[in-house]
Amino acid sequence: MRSVSVIFSIVLAVALGAPGPARAQSKEPVKIGLSAAVSGGSAASGEAIKRGLQIAIDEINARGGVLGGRRLELAVRDDEGNPQKGVTIARELVEREKVAAVFGGLHTTVALAQVPVWQELKTPYMGAWAAGTNITRNGQTPNYVFRVSANDDYVDRFLSRYAIEVLKKGKPGLLLENTPWGQSNETGLTKWFGERGIKAVGVERFNWNDPDMSPQLLRLKNAGADHIVLVANAPEGAQVLRSKAKLGWNTAMISHWGISGGRFAELTGDLSEGVTFLQTYTFFGRQNERGQYVLKMLREKYGVKEPGDIIAPVGTANAYDGLHLVALAIEQAGSTDGTKVRGTLETLKGEHKGLIKTYKRPFTPEQHDALTDEDYVMVVWKGGKIVPVNMK
Amino acid sequence: MYVQLVVTGLALGSMYGLVALGYHITWATSRTMNFSQGHAVMAGAVVAYTVFVALGWPFPLALVITLAALACYGTFVERIAVRPFFLRASPAWLLATIAVGIIAENVAQLTFGKDARAFPSPLMHKPIIVGSAGFYPQELLVPVIGLTLMGLVQLFYHRTSYGKQLKAVAWNPEAAGLMGINIPRAVMTSYALSAILAGVAGVLLAPLLNVAPQMGTIIGLKAFAVAIIGGLTSAPGIVIAGLGYGLVEAFTAGYISTRAREIVGFALVILVLVVRPWGLLGEKPSRRV
Repeated sequence: MRSVSVIFSIVLAVALGAPGPARAQSKEPVKIGLSAAVSGGSAASGEAIKRGLQIAIDEINARGGVLGGRRLELAVRDDEGNPQKGVTIARELVEREKVAAVFGGLHTTVALAQVPVWQELKTPYMGAWAAGTNITRNGQTPNYVFRVSANDDYVDRFLSRYAIEVLKKGKPGLLLENTPWGQSNETGLTKWFGERGIKAVGVERFNWNDPDMSPQLLRLKNAGADHIVLVANAPEGAQVLRSKAKLGWNTAMISHWGISGGRFAELTGDLSEGVTFLQTYTFFGRQNERGQYVLKMLREKYGVKEPGDIIAPVGTANAYDGLHLVALAIEQAGSTDGTKVRGTLETLKGEHKGLIKTYKRPFTPEQHDALTDEDYVMVVWKGGKIVPVNMK
Repeated sequence: MYVQLVVTGLALGSMYGLVALGYHITWATSRTMNFSQGHAVMAGAVVAYTVFVALGWPFPLALVITLAALACYGTFVERIAVRPFFLRASPAWLLATIAVGIIAENVAQLTFGKDARAFPSPLMHKPIIVGSAGFYPQELLVPVIGLTLMGLVQLFYHRTSYGKQLKAVAWNPEAAGLMGINIPRAVMTSYALSAILAGVAGVLLAPLLNVAPQMGTIIGLKAFAVAIIGGLTSAPGIVIAGLGYGLVEAFTAGYISTRAREIVGFALVILVLVVRPWGLLGEKPSRRV
């Protein structure tokens, strides 16, 4: 009996007494959520976002975390690009993991489905990829949804400006995927070309997995299109290029960034030569200080040898800048409370030197997109490499 | 413009016809079919990709392995999704084969990944452009091999004794059984043959469509429409219907709109089902008294 009570008291002493000093040191971490597709066809996008977040988190933790010594911690969930799953994950991250903010992935459908959850649970959301216009312009006040990525509306303005001012073309043929994403870009392109008094000579659509795009291209060609504006993902984009080569039609092609996910270069080979598309950031060409740092981290942590090896670069760049902005807001709010962080994001003080640009009050109550077409870059496939295009 | 549309339509149509022959082979023997024939085509492309591209083995060897693997796949489909129901004369094989196809697609997603991959072919490097129309040499290969296979299937069912035995099973299973034909084996053989054909289609179409778990779904569905139009009991009917269907698709997309393509195509299926349910060249079933 006595030995039992001795052991018991030792256990009690260890359990209660020993961790004293250690517990005092380690403050509760601040958790950041990520809901993205990290498996399946868009897995590369989820992985890229994860890398961007992790690099920024390590950087912030190395200099002492936020709120006087609280470390940042990442909680990743796979939404598989499925809106229902996205909604479940959103609740789980907030209610169980108690995250301070959540980052989002590639799928506009998931992001849209999650909007009501962020509003209800008063948790700030930072989009790192999905470009759907009404994700951020969702009609909610106060709006908990922010984004450091492209916005279809700005993308369409950017693409039309490129066609008119740089290519000096005036007869666009639109080739769009037959989905809500294609539809939203038809609206945007029609609007922005229209502002310049230009009407598309043809609007053609294709379905996912369509084997041959020559009828659509023929219609555009016969309608007199002098360039093609493409809204497609990598597999369909590749089929478009194949059919175009078959017709022997050498016309300029400018594209939304969908073709940059997936394995466009592998699928198209030489055909990708000269295809221009938009990015929010490119690791090719001269890099600013942050760019050099992120490249160094990608090299050290993820074995990336050169910019060409970076998978889905925009995901990493957007997420990296987005995390810094969220951390800044937490710091300036002096709290991880969702309502306070949300309010602070809209009124961020000072300048933040980011990767994509220097952010100076990136968000306002009316503007929840930190990036606009002023910040996008145009790139072109040249000899199997992505090269920035001069917009002047 | 119409020259290119004819070329495109014939290229598409021969793909449909080739895949649709797979429905004919099992139908001719057992009056059942693998509804997921398109998924079998995908399986063929995925296996070929794995052996030829990922492992880098020589193409002839990759082809042999692919066809052997597909024969096993066909046997497997018959064994678990058709035979249990065929013996009870239950039409549940319909759903069971769809289920197997969905499982195959998901297994491919897990093992192969969802990204479309390129299947290299020397016949895809440069399109041949004649006048105002162009095509890839690979597209020419599809009808050539499709017609050859159609001829072989015809010869098999009409000229060989084993082929005739298989057909007999469809006409009257009881009598065929009494004549000493091993019915389960006959059905299994037809499924293996059908899957081998899907394997050939998979290898042939992979460079054109790229390899992806979802590549077979649409083509399988359209091939089914073609099989219905041409007549499930007639290989030549299916090939002709395939070419016709491809032309209708290309011309609808070219002169009306891409959005009208599926409407016109499947409306044709309904029309044929109403007017001539046994298909263009199918055998009109004799009325049972």
